[in-house]
Amino acid sequence: MTQGLEFSVSDLTVHYGGVCAVNGIGFTVPAGESVGVIGANGAGKSSALKALMGLVPRRVSSMRFGDVDLSRVKARDMVRHGIGYVPEGRHVFSGLSVEKNLLLGAYARPWDAKTRAGLADVYELFPVLGEMKDRLAGALSGGQQQMLAIGRALMSQPKLLLLDEPSMGLSPILVETILGVLQRLKGQGLSMLLVEQNAKLTFEATSTCLVMENGQVAMSGRSADLTHDARVRKIYLGL
Amino acid sequence: MKYRIAGIAALVAFAWYLPYQLDSYMIHVANVIIVFAILAIGLGLVMGVAGQINLAQIAFFGAAAYGTAILTTRAGFGFWTAAALAMLIAATIGLLVGTPALRMQSHYLGIVTLGLALALTNWVTNAHIAGGAEGISGIPAPELPGIDLHNAYFFYYLELVVFLLALAFGLFVVHTPLGRKMRAMRDDSLAAGAVGVEVPQLRMTAFFLSSIYGGLAGVLYAGLIRYVAPESFSIANMFLLLAMVIIGGRQSLIGCVVGAVALSLLREVLVDYPTYAQVAYGSVVVLTVVFAPTGLAGLPKRIRGLLRRVGWLPGDTGPVPKLGPFLPYAETPRPAAEPILRIDEVSMHFRGLKALQEISMTVNAGEIRGIVGPNGSGKTTLFNVVSGLYRPTAGRVYLADKDMTAASPHVLARKGIARTFQNLRLFALLSVRDNLLVALDQTSILSNWRYVLWQAGVWRHDQSLRAEADELLQRFGLTDFADSAPGELPYGTQRRVEIARAMARRPSLLLLDEPAAGLNGEEVRQLSEIVRSIRASGVTVVIIEHNMGLVMSLCERVTVLASGRVIADGTPAEVARAPQVVEAYLGDSAMSEDVPEIVETEAAR
Amino acid sequence: MQVFLQTFIGGVSLGAIYALVAMGFSLVFRTMGLVNFSHGNVVMIGAYIASTFYLSVKLPFAVAMVIALGLTGLIGVFIERVLRPLENKDFDLMLIGTIGFGIVLEAVAIIIWGATGRAVPNPVAVAPVQIFGLRIRTYDLVVLAITTAATLLLVYFLQRTKRGAAMQAVAMDHEAATAVGIHVGRSNAIAFMLGAALAALAGGLVGPLLYVNPSMGGMLGIKGFAGAILGGFGSIPGAIVGGIAIGVLDSFAGGWFQGYSDLVTFLVFTMIIMIRPTGIFGERTVNRA
Repeated sequence: MTQGLEFSVSDLTVHYGGVCAVNGIGFTVPAGESVGVIGANGAGKSSALKALMGLVPRRVSSMRFGDVDLSRVKARDMVRHGIGYVPEGRHVFSGLSVEKNLLLGAYARPWDAKTRAGLADVYELFPVLGEMKDRLAGALSGGQQQMLAIGRALMSQPKLLLLDEPSMGLSPILVETILGVLQRLKGQGLSMLLVEQNAKLTFEATSTCLVMENGQVAMSGRSADLTHDARVRKIYLGL
Repeated sequence: MKYRIAGIAALVAFAWYLPYQLDSYMIHVANVIIVFAILAIGLGLVMGVAGQINLAQIAFFGAAAYGTAILTTRAGFGFWTAAALAMLIAATIGLLVGTPALRMQSHYLGIVTLGLALALTNWVTNAHIAGGAEGISGIPAPELPGIDLHNAYFFYYLELVVFLLALAFGLFVVHTPLGRKMRAMRDDSLAAGAVGVEVPQLRMTAFFLSSIYGGLAGVLYAGLIRYVAPESFSIANMFLLLAMVIIGGRQSLIGCVVGAVALSLLREVLVDYPTYAQVAYGSVVVLTVVFAPTGLAGLPKRIRGLLRRVGWLPGDTGPVPKLGPFLPYAETPRPAAEPILRIDEVSMHFRGLKALQEISMTVNAGEIRGIVGPNGSGKTTLFNVVSGLYRPTAGRVYLADKDMTAASPHVLARKGIARTFQNLRLFALLSVRDNLLVALDQTSILSNWRYVLWQAGVWRHDQSLRAEADELLQRFGLTDFADSAPGELPYGTQRRVEIARAMARRPSLLLLDEPAAGLNGEEVRQLSEIVRSIRASGVTVVIIEHNMGLVMSLCERVTVLASGRVIADGTPAEVARAPQVVEAYLGDSAMSEDVPEIVETEAAR
Repeated sequence: MQVFLQTFIGGVSLGAIYALVAMGFSLVFRTMGLVNFSHGNVVMIGAYIASTFYLSVKLPFAVAMVIALGLTGLIGVFIERVLRPLENKDFDLMLIGTIGFGIVLEAVAIIIWGATGRAVPNPVAVAPVQIFGLRIRTYDLVVLAITTAATLLLVYFLQRTKRGAAMQAVAMDHEAATAVGIHVGRSNAIAFMLGAALAALAGGLVGPLLYVNPSMGGMLGIKGFAGAILGGFGSIPGAIVGGIAIGVLDSFAGGWFQGYSDLVTFLVFTMIIMIRPTGIFGERTVNRA
């Protein structure tokens, strides 16, 4: 997790049916940095993330992680290149126990002592998951499911974490908790790409940020600057 | 159209003169083919049009054939009396088989209907009255004055007439309100319920309809062969019938007929190798579902599409369809500010998840109410409770002071609630016009008696719906897209179609779930104009939206949800200043005062 | 009382077979969200392969069974591979596709083995066991033992192995499963293979109990399916309880209504399922979002 790689994408396009959801966006996540993508629902940010993972068909002129070309890597192999993915909403394996969910996060690795250690790390990061490790994931609260989804992605020991709206459906205090976790992960040198609708969380958790509108990048800049940007405030509060 | 009429005339003429070319064996084959064609139409109606898996079609067929046989040979009825009673038996069984459809999903229906088909074979092979494995012979031929129906050639013409009438009736059903509702239910039963389609009853109607076709075929079969035995109604024949419908193209009745003719002929060609025929049609079924799910009927369109892609056929050359301007509704005076929707302490829990917690809110008639809140705060769940998709864990929902908690979606739709969906739920295989027509039809399932006794009334009703649809298309600027499939349209246009479909219900309360998501600036402006005009026409609008600019400019009152609770309620300006809202959206460390309370409830889960 | 218990025991033995068929249905449903309508005919093919190696090749019964499991498993893999383009897209079409495979399998069986069918002698030539005046065939005990062992193995596989967990994860959320590195297609192929192997086990075991013929698949499949639904579709214990319940119901219906037993069994089944559509243990919900 310590040595970082730069993740760069150029000219990513996604079509859903006849609709162009993402229209030729490009960006770079420098090693050990975190980049945010914010925008209204339907702006294409979630589609962009799924397309990066290869879960929906995409067109991309280049997509690299360090020296590796990822543009032809299948979705199921992304994790083997160090990309962890936290899906939007409560996409945990609801009928399996919390611990099974976490272990499956390490599916691409042998289940050995190192995986056990990873499990302990996740329980340390989210103590509540340790308390509930034998419960079915579907019986957890929304916040706990979100923690589980993040924990599951961490189990693969990723070098880059793609997060799709981790704040969705969470109360402010839980959003704070998630923010704390993200900052801690960042401190450990993990690169992150955070897609969010919660601007506050995004600005605090990332160093640079893109604002998406209608499938394109409308604005980008340092997160600290965007916080004070009048247009961002207008979109988010209608002031 | 001209070509089509000429084509139909040629086909009818062909069918009429066909017997002159056939020897006595082949005329028998032709007669059996017609019986299967009628069966296939029935199966196409229930499976392809209404989307319900039915493996009991052969049982309807068998019940009527055996009914005729038993009533004529054992009870001494005349053929036509026995035939009428046998049809009644088949229809009763159809309704009985349809009963599970009131409650069950597709794979259950598959097993229950297949079980029924097996049970029938089981009964007839064992029952003394049904003649056991030998079956019943000596069924009298039907009598018609002046025509000797013992003669296979004359019987052919009887069958041909019945077949043409049955096909015409089937096509009539498909293209009028009843069939349109069935197709809507097939494409999206949830959305169909939301526009007032009585889904469970309609499913049952579909089974009833297919049993009528099964019964008709059974009676003809008994009169034709004048002998019934269990193997004619075996599961193998059920699967053959299924193959006919799948290969022909289940969504098109003509396709079903083509499939029936094609497979029957194939079976005839391979009559000495029945098992190889079975391998052949089984394999074709597999290949069809994988490579050509629309069957033979869908091939012309696919080939045209292919030719167009490789450039052998010119693309559509007509004028590029354009979204027209929205024509505002006539304004009506604003109704008195009485509550039209009252939500009282509604909670909704899903296993460990408390999506809504004691939500209370009141919407007055004539209002535009905004509901905002972070993703996952329970807004759509609230809509789902109000529109009847979910039954709340606790609390009541009142519509104009009437308690409507947990009423079915179609009942609520009929009481004046219309809605749109966050992720567009248009009927994918219906044209834009048909999407509107489904919603425009306000008649109940009971009015379908007119299909039997008063077709002219159905037709006239359909014509008046079409006129209304044209007007609605015009109003929403969709005229150019009337005959397109929704999936082919730009996203913003699809959103507009969904609003038009909701307005087709002439609702008193319109629920819009994120109508601006994915729209560009101009489209958002048009949307706000449309919503204002809808309100001015006397409809109350509740709108879930993330585009705060739109909410602030459009809504008179805004309710803010967070974590399944109402955290603020007031005018847009009040709400935007409310500290807890700023906290929920942009966050502000100064406002952490309220947080501990929410922590406790989170921990209490 | 004597007759009652004897009927009951006869039902349990056949019910154990239904339970194996039901488990095959449930396994595929639980790991793929698909109802495999060709399952009954796969059972029939398994019965033929096992009996062929036992009767014609004269191998020991156990060896014939193992070969049948392997070959039939390959058929399962083939079916999955052909229908894979429909996975996670249109399960209704896929269901019809499995019906198509069922049609083909039945015809192929007629071509290879003829339409008449064959009787398989009891491979366990030991006198029946007498307990409290009840005669229990030794072969029935063998069937029960093998069913129990197969159930335990299957439960172990799903609960304790990495692959088993991954296969269930695929049914719950195939995208999230892909993201953690699971090959969804391969997982489904294994599900189909195991389902087919279970079918072969049921078919091989049922040979000495029933007459092996090409059309046996329909009835065995539908009763196994009924058992699976009765127990709660997708649940392994449900499949066992439901399968045995259908067997016992069948046995009593056979005793009281003779030829009408299938009819009665289905009427009772339909009634139960109308009252409680999710079965005894409740359907395992499968996310297809």
